[in-house]
Amino acid sequence: MPRKPNNSRQTRALLAAFFDRSQTWQHGYDLSKETGLRSGTLYPLLMRLSEQGLLESRWQEAERPGLPPRHVYRLTKSGLALAREQQELAAIAAERAGALA
Amino acid sequence: MNAAPGRWRRWAVRFAQHASWVLPDARSPWADAMRREIDYIEDDPAALRWALGCIAASYRARLAHRPSFSTRAAWRHVATSGVLMLFIGLALLENAGGQTQSPRPAFDDTTCDLPDVSPEIRPRLRCGTVTVPRDYDNPDAGHFKLAVVVVKSEQQPSRPEPVVYISGGPGSPLTIYAAHQARTPYAPRRDLILVDQRGTGRSEPSLCPDLGSKLLDANLAIAATNTEEALAGRRAVYLACRDEATGRGLDLRDFGTRVTVEDFEMVRQALQVERWSVYGESYGTTVAMTLMALHPDAVRSAVLDSIYPPDPVPLWSTIVSDARDAFFAHCAQDKLCSTSFPDLAGTYQDTLARLNQDPLVVTVPPQMRQRDNRMRITAPLFELGVSNLLYYATAYPTLPRMIQSVHDGDTQGLGTVLVSQLAAAATLNRATHAAVECRDRSHFRKPPARDANALDRMQLYGVCDRWSELGPSPLVPVGTSVPTLVLAGQFDPVARPALSHYVAERIGSNARWVEFPHIGHNVRQFSPCGVKIAADFIDQPEQAPDTSCADRIAPIRFLAKYQTP
Repeated sequence: MPRKPNNSRQTRALLAAFFDRSQTWQHGYDLSKETGLRSGTLYPLLMRLSEQGLLESRWQEAERPGLPPRHVYRLTKSGLALAREQQELAAIAAERAGALA
Repeated sequence: MNAAPGRWRRWAVRFAQHASWVLPDARSPWADAMRREIDYIEDDPAALRWALGCIAASYRARLAHRPSFSTRAAWRHVATSGVLMLFIGLALLENAGGQTQSPRPAFDDTTCDLPDVSPEIRPRLRCGTVTVPRDYDNPDAGHFKLAVVVVKSEQQPSRPEPVVYISGGPGSPLTIYAAHQARTPYAPRRDLILVDQRGTGRSEPSLCPDLGSKLLDANLAIAATNTEEALAGRRAVYLACRDEATGRGLDLRDFGTRVTVEDFEMVRQALQVERWSVYGESYGTTVAMTLMALHPDAVRSAVLDSIYPPDPVPLWSTIVSDARDAFFAHCAQDKLCSTSFPDLAGTYQDTLARLNQDPLVVTVPPQMRQRDNRMRITAPLFELGVSNLLYYATAYPTLPRMIQSVHDGDTQGLGTVLVSQLAAAATLNRATHAAVECRDRSHFRKPPARDANALDRMQLYGVCDRWSELGPSPLVPVGTSVPTLVLAGQFDPVARPALSHYVAERIGSNARWVEFPHIGHNVRQFSPCGVKIAADFIDQPEQAPDTSCADRIAPIRFLAKYQTP
C-alpha cells in the first residue's frame, strides 16, 4: 500500500517544529538541531514541502557584517493546516495510548 | 585573527561546493541555502557533518530529478552506493568545470591596439581574446570574447606564476590602461595578466554603453529634489537599458561575480598558468575572494586592496559618514588644518544647511551638458562630491579649503572638481555595474527607504528587483590556506578600516591586515609604501612582509585657507 505523503516520522517532526513557531522564519541549521534531522534528510524534505506549496522561503540578510544572506522558511497556510491536522492526530493518538495504559 | 577555521572547515566548504554542482539547476537556490548555513555553524566537525549531508541531499535531489528514477529507487541507489558516489564526487571536485562541457579554453592572439603604449613597453605586451560561455550551465547559449592583455615582466625570464590584477567597479575597463599598469610592476619578475571582465572595456557584450550619460541627468535630479518622481525617472532609465539588452538577445542572468570568477578560470587555463597571484582592488576584491573560495588550488597568494565589503554591507551613506568624520577628526588634530579650519565638521554641516536653503549656482564646462552651462549645487550634490573626494588621497590637502569655500559662497574651481569626478565616473559601464550588482547583492532588490539619504537613493535600490533574478552570492574564503594580504586606507569611503579588518578576521589566520594612514580607496595607487608591501608579499607570500613604512607615511600637507596649491 502506498505510504501517505508527508506522513513519515521525519516529516512529522519537521512539521511539528514549524507548527510550534508558525509565525517565525526559521533557519536550516536551527531546524536540524531542533528536529535532530541531518542536512541530508532535512533539505530533501524542505525541497519537497516547498514544491508542494506547503512551505515558503526567502533570503534573510545576516545580522552581522561579513556573513552571507541566509535562507529562511515557514509554513504556508496549507502547510500550517497540514501541520495542525497532524498535531491533532498525534494528540488523539496520545490520548488513545493513555487510555490503553 | 580567527584561529578556528582548519582543515575540517575547508573540507566542509569543498563538500558543500560539490553539492552545489550536483544539484539540478532548478534547485540551485537550495544549494546556496545549504552551503551558506556552514558560515553559521561555529563547530568545525559539525560544519563537516553538515556538508556531508548536503552531498547526500544533492545526490538524492539529482537522482530524483531524473525521469528514469523514482524517488524511492533513487534513495535506494544513494543508500547502497553513497560511499562510492562520495569518492566519485571528490574525484570530480577538481574537475568540476568539466561538467559544463565548455570548449577547451584558448588564447587567440590579436594586435595590441592600446593607447599610450611607448616603444619600450610595446614588446612586452601580448594581446588577445579568450572565448567563454555566456552561460556555464548551458554551453549552447553562445559565447563572449574577453579581451586579455599579458604584460611581460621587464626582467626576463619571468617567474612561472604571474600576477592577475582584478579591477573594480563592477564595470570598470582595464586593458586600455595596460601601458600604465606596465610602468609599476606588482612584483619583480612576474608577468601581469589584465582582463576586461565581461561587459566591460573591450570585452563582449557591449551593454548599454550610453547608460552613464543618460543616468547623469537622472542622478542630478535625485540630488536636486530627492523625490519619488526623481527616483522613478532614474529607474526608468535603467529599465530601458534592460529592455534594450534583452531585446538584443542578452540574458542578464549571465552576469555576476560567480560567472566572472569562472571567466577568470577560463583565462588562467587558456594561458596555461598553473597558479597565479591574485591582486583584487575595490570590487575586484569580491572577485578575488570568490576565486579563492572556489579555486583555491590555482591561487598562490592574494592581495585584497580596499575591500568592497561582503553582504550584509552597511548603507553607503553610513560608511561615507564614518570616513568623513574620521577625516574631520584628523583635521582637528593637525596644527595647520585646525588653525585654518577650526571647526571643519561644523562648517561642513553648516554648508549643507545653507545649500538646503539656498543652492549655489556654478558655471560648469560644456561636458556637463547643463543648460547655459550652469548647475545648481544642492546639499546632496555637495555631499556626493565630498564623498567622492574621500576616495582620493591626492584630494585631501585641498578638501578642507574646498568645504570652507563653498560654505563662504565661493564656487570658483568647483565646476572643475565636478567635471573631474564626472570623468572618473564616466569610465564605468553602468549597465554592467547593475548587471553584476543585481545578481550579487540581495539588498538592492528593496526600494530605498522614504527617508533614505540621497547617496543611498543613487544606488541600485529599487532597480534590481526588476532587472534580473538574484544570483548565487559572492563568497568569503573563510579559513583559506591561501596567504592573503589585506590593505586598508584610513579614510576609505567604501570600507572603513574596522570593516575590512573584520573581513580579514573572517578570512582567517592566513590573512594579514595593514592599515595605511592618510589614504582613502585603492591603497596601491596612492601609496608607494603600499606598492612596496604588496610587491614584497607577492614575492614571498609565506613570509610576513615588512610593513613598517605604513607607520611612517607622510602627513597630509593641508593647504591653508587662502594658500594656493
